Amino acid sequence: MEQVEPKIVAFLCNWCAYAGADLAGVSRIQHPSNMRTVRVMCSGRVDPIFIVQALKSGCDGVLVAG
Amino acid sequence: MTQKLLKLSGIGENRLHLAWLSSAEAQRFVDITTGVIDQVKAQGQFDAEQFSLELAAAEETLKAEALRWMVGKEVKLLARGDVYGRKWEKENFEKILDDVLEREYHKQLIRQAIIADFTSVRAISRRIGLGLKRISYLLADMEKTNMVEFKGHTECVPVFGAL
Repeated sequence: MEQVEPKIVAFLCNWCAYAGADLAGVSRIQHPSNMRTVRVMCSGRVDPIFIVQALKSGCDGVLVAG
Repeated sequence: MTQKLLKLSGIGENRLHLAWLSSAEAQRFVDITTGVIDQVKAQGQFDAEQFSLELAAAEETLKAEALRWMVGKEVKLLARGDVYGRKWEKENFEKILDDVLEREYHKQLIRQAIIADFTSVRAISRRIGLGLKRISYLLADMEKTNMVEFKGHTECVPVFGAL
């Protein structure tokens, strides 16, 4: 089977991980493009149900970063 | 806890990753995302259709009161004790939480199997791979809490319906 690029949903905290991701972009560090980002105001906002629903809607993995 | 649930359901705990970093750590962010992508790649594509029962059961489990109450009361039980003044050890609490998680998940899985038209104990067992004894035991419990009902017999086989 051909290796397809995995789809990953990333829940990023506005103040930590999202800013980190932004900085990675601004400082032009090469990084893979598999992430589909959802910005949340705090990673505590992420309910476990979101994770199950993300998997349900067909993504291959979930990352919660704060 | 959600990772434990994913492991329990056979979806695999490695599909969920948690990471903590600060806004100044751009390189660390890149390292983490690369690591996560590699690990998910190693597991291949996720087929949501194949796990439809498991996903629905996991969602219902996380929605239900039992787990939400327990998680919400964790700090209180560990720090101040319960209404009888008993202090709870972290290990003990986590063991009970794991038991509740497993039981609630199995109950929801049985309910989803019944909704998917596997209505006898044997059919449910074949579909979700739980032992007959465990299913019968949980079904009796589920009848009491109005999750399922006993519908009658078809050719001497007891049939259940979801409520």
